[in-house]
Amino acid sequence: MEANLALLIPLFPVIAFLLLIFGRKAFCKKMAAAVGVAATFASFALSTWVLVAGETITWKVPWLQIGNQTVSLSIEIGSLQMLMLFIVSVVSMLVHLYSYGYMKHDDRIQVFYAYLALFTFSMFSLVMSSNLLWIYIFWELVGVCSFLLIGFWYFKPEARDAARKAFVVTRIGDVGFFIAICLAFWHAGSFEVSDLQAVVESGQLTPGLITLLAVLIFVGAIGKSGQFPLHTWLPNAMEGPTPVSALIHAATMVAAGVYLVANLFFLFQASPFAMDLVAYVGGFTAIFAATIGLAQYDIKRVLAYSTVSQLGYMMLALGSAGYVAGVFHLFTHAFFKALLFLGAGAVIVLLSHEQDIRKMGGLWKSHRQLGIWFLAGCLSIAGIPPFSGFFSKDEILLSTYLDGRIDLFVIGIIAAFFTAFYMFRLFFMVFAGEARGPKADSKVPVVMMVPIVILGLFSVFSGFANASPMHLLTAWLSKGNDYTAATGHAPVWLPVLVVTVSLVGIGLAYLYFGSRKWSTSKVVQTVPRLHKLVFNKYYVDELYHYAFVLPAKGIGWFLYGVDRFVVGGLAYLTAWIAQFIGRIGSRIQNGQAQTYALVSVIGFVLLIVGLTAGRFLK
Amino acid sequence: MVVTSYLALSAILFSIGLYGVLTKRNAVIVLFCIELMLNAANINFVAFSKFGLFPDLAGHIFTLFTITIAAAEAALGIAILIALYRHVETAEADQFKSLKG
Amino acid sequence: MSWINWLPALVTFFPLLGVAVLLFLPREKTGLHRFWGIMATLPSLFFALYMYLHFDQGFKGLQWFQSVIWFQIPILQGEPWTFHYSMGVDGLSLPLIVLTTIVSTLAAVASLYIRQATKGYYQLLLLLETGMIGVFAAANLFLFFIFFEITLIVTFFLIGKWGFLGKVKAANRFLLYNGLGSGFLLFAMVALMIMFGSLEYSDLESRMGQVMGQLALLPPQIETTLWAVFIALMIAFSIKLPVFPFHSWMLRTHVEAPTPVVMIHSGVLLKMGAYGFMRFGVGLFPEQMKEIAVLIAILGLINILYGALLAIVQRELKSVLAYSSISHMGIILFGLASLNAAGLKGVMFQAVSHGLISALLFFLVGCMYERTRTTELDDLGGLAKSMPVFSGIFLVGIMALLGLPGLSGFISEFLSYLGLFQNYPVIASIGALGLIFTVVYALRALLKTTFGPIHERYRLLNDLNVNESVPMMVLVALIVLIGVYPDSLGAPMQVTLDLIVSRIGG
Repeated sequence: MEANLALLIPLFPVIAFLLLIFGRKAFCKKMAAAVGVAATFASFALSTWVLVAGETITWKVPWLQIGNQTVSLSIEIGSLQMLMLFIVSVVSMLVHLYSYGYMKHDDRIQVFYAYLALFTFSMFSLVMSSNLLWIYIFWELVGVCSFLLIGFWYFKPEARDAARKAFVVTRIGDVGFFIAICLAFWHAGSFEVSDLQAVVESGQLTPGLITLLAVLIFVGAIGKSGQFPLHTWLPNAMEGPTPVSALIHAATMVAAGVYLVANLFFLFQASPFAMDLVAYVGGFTAIFAATIGLAQYDIKRVLAYSTVSQLGYMMLALGSAGYVAGVFHLFTHAFFKALLFLGAGAVIVLLSHEQDIRKMGGLWKSHRQLGIWFLAGCLSIAGIPPFSGFFSKDEILLSTYLDGRIDLFVIGIIAAFFTAFYMFRLFFMVFAGEARGPKADSKVPVVMMVPIVILGLFSVFSGFANASPMHLLTAWLSKGNDYTAATGHAPVWLPVLVVTVSLVGIGLAYLYFGSRKWSTSKVVQTVPRLHKLVFNKYYVDELYHYAFVLPAKGIGWFLYGVDRFVVGGLAYLTAWIAQFIGRIGSRIQNGQAQTYALVSVIGFVLLIVGLTAGRFLK
Repeated sequence: MVVTSYLALSAILFSIGLYGVLTKRNAVIVLFCIELMLNAANINFVAFSKFGLFPDLAGHIFTLFTITIAAAEAALGIAILIALYRHVETAEADQFKSLKG
Repeated sequence: MSWINWLPALVTFFPLLGVAVLLFLPREKTGLHRFWGIMATLPSLFFALYMYLHFDQGFKGLQWFQSVIWFQIPILQGEPWTFHYSMGVDGLSLPLIVLTTIVSTLAAVASLYIRQATKGYYQLLLLLETGMIGVFAAANLFLFFIFFEITLIVTFFLIGKWGFLGKVKAANRFLLYNGLGSGFLLFAMVALMIMFGSLEYSDLESRMGQVMGQLALLPPQIETTLWAVFIALMIAFSIKLPVFPFHSWMLRTHVEAPTPVVMIHSGVLLKMGAYGFMRFGVGLFPEQMKEIAVLIAILGLINILYGALLAIVQRELKSVLAYSSISHMGIILFGLASLNAAGLKGVMFQAVSHGLISALLFFLVGCMYERTRTTELDDLGGLAKSMPVFSGIFLVGIMALLGLPGLSGFISEFLSYLGLFQNYPVIASIGALGLIFTVVYALRALLKTTFGPIHERYRLLNDLNVNESVPMMVLVALIVLIGVYPDSLGAPMQVTLDLIVSRIGG
């Protein structure tokens, strides 16, 4: 009975999707929004109920026959999944609500809600599936929803290019995941995660194969979660509408990579190399993206790089055996990053779609309430107690420290400093000082403010889910596994260090951008090359363009030439030979029926003569 | 040897027909010559049906068939010729060479 | 003998009734031709669906099997050579017959932009349908060959008369290559007749099994001959599929043929190659197939990457789709090379699914061409503004093409790759790069057509009308059905595939 109820969680959004896509003419804007919000609210209620009930739910139905094996559509909702369902449903519901305010002037809001609903459905299903194939299926579906929503304003060339980039770059990662599930099928004998776990834990697979599987799956996670070197699509994805950025490119879909690694944590634990890889890629991404974030001027791009950086943190935690820390940060990050994006969206709407932070300012005075909640988000991501980010970031650094990778620990600390700095750079540039661009004289609509407030409350308090001394989340997540066995005690200096570093970052940001006592142009002048490098995102896009895109196109053109001249030439040759033979033959065919008759008469006579002669010769 | 004379007549008729088919330029005459050849064959049929080793009526019947079909064929041939004539304004067989390869 | 055994014949020959009806219609009544042309495809569609619903999924062998002695050729010694007229349906042919009837009906509906000589056009189209269904429904190699040739000749005329600018050249190229293929097929057929004395599928299979069982005892010439026959068959079907480097005829055909013919061509005719590979390659020569599996896998790899890379640089929409067909046929080769349950199922799924998808896409492109008068990618753009329904369906089509889960393309792609991963993981991994290239060219086609700023001259285009969008919706529904519930297609073919896999052995 419970299983059936849980199945309704993804069902509501998919019904909403079908209603909206086929009845887009029938619904007015308000109705469309109502359908979307109602569906997600129903899912939210069910998810909460599942979370509160707290019992593992499994469900299975055969789907596809491969030889004598049956691939099932199988669902298993354990503690991690319940948590994810809760996060996704909360953020999704709030974003649905918020979108009505943000998108109400768009003619295609029905389609927008349809896509959002489809995304929500896919994301729920992705989380619920306990079968690698089904995870992959929904993994692709969320990708395509992301593509559709980034390219929602299809007439903008930037949106179109960003959508393509998002799809192609994540597809590169997906291929790794795809190879991994194919290999897993032949070596584990099924797509079920539980079967794979059994095989891995009983030691039937060679260590090399386990490492290969883990690395390939991680490649998929890299693509989805925007980790280096496949991070380039995520900042471009900000061309989509802001609610989309909040839902897909901050809170849920990009965290799917982290979720995947957490879900298959047994596999990674079995391979030290894979753990190293996860940790180092995560750590590198965290600091790499944070430095880029320092020099960006587009409000959404700053947040995007911050997302990349925070996802790097989560990977770092998982790679350092900090299972709970990673998931915990996923949990808190979903709320405060969604809050920041929705806040940024409100700012953008107020300033009539201005996104350059150099042209913003002074909003603190005119929109105090928005400013307060935005500040809460900033404090949270910067890791200031008692905001939620503090607790999760603290745990990540703790697990890195306990894991003994001091280099990564140092990187994490530095990244924390950068995070505080660029977030408050953003905050001060947008809210402090005087207005430098378009005036904001309207108020933030209620439908937009309510989600911001709710998310704000979550960002303030969600940290206590795993605060000392109770560690509720740890207890919750350690049900039925031993991922949390190796936790130690935190040295007292660690939280102090983290907070100090963050405070220094905030202070510096205040001096540069709040009070404007110090000037950034001086810094730029002292290290012009470095600034240019960072400002241009380390030229990674350009590098890829010259290293991969152009060669691929070049090969394509080259092969096209081969196709036309060599293969086509062969075809011409064949045709020519046939024609040549035909031309010789056609000499005889002069078109005169009488000649043909003569030839056949001669032939007949010869035949008769031959037969008669044969008789005589005998 | 009565049959020999029939056969001789038939052979002469056939040869005349064949000669006409192969050499005449006018397509109508070519058609007539084909009729000649068919009739030559008919004479053979009738002759053998009367004087052959196993005389029976099969030869007569065949001849009747042939005559019928020849009539149909002549009608068809003439019809085609008229259509062709309208098209290219000639009945000369050597002008009909659009089949030339 | 109940009438039910004539079911395959009914499906096959019903369109001929339409040909006869059309014969008596006046030449200039285009609307009437269209009406009868569409009506005449419906009985076959109906009977094919009836067959699908009443197909006995547990039955091994051909159902509704009907065999009559057709003619005999006396030979000097021994039994005369007997040629049967025999038809039957099994798990390999049923899905393709259903596909053929669906695509034919839709192609008849899609022919609304054919304006000249519609009488002859619909007659040929119906004759083509008979030929195609016959190819799949035949249970005798000789009959198969005859139907195979019918499709060839009829398609030649359809391309040559109703195509676009370069139609004559395209038709000639088509006939030349496929005629070559038929030559190989003829050789194989004659050789099999001489060796086994019968061309019935069942006889061929059983005698082939006997020969392979005692190969060591037989003179070595037998094995050589078998190999020659096998290679001839492979070449014949490689040209049809087409496999690199036999593909160049197919590009021209895709670009120059009229829209409905391309739908049929890409949707069904190419699949005759896949069917031939399954029926006569894997089904008849499993041992030989095993030996050249690596070669087939490599050819598949070349097809996938070559087609995809070339599709990326094409500037014209139909060429993109043509090269993408080459790439997708590589996936069929992957499935064949794997020689296991997953891969072979992938072949059949890919045959059906690509048939549906390419029919849909070419239909869309045809409808678009009627409005924009161009298929050059650089001249298009922003059509989503003026043609939202078109753009939505095009989006689904492209997504199916690039293998989005939930649509049929994914299942086939996935099964084929999965199959190959068992035996040749390295080749399969390299082939997986094709998945990336596929996304690149498919998105390029999509984004350059419907996304971006709209050209001024396209601002007032009409969106699809009901005649166009309803058939497309049918295709979309089928694509989604197979994608979501693959057993709807997979269940009927299961027993036949199991049989083939068991014959391949361990």
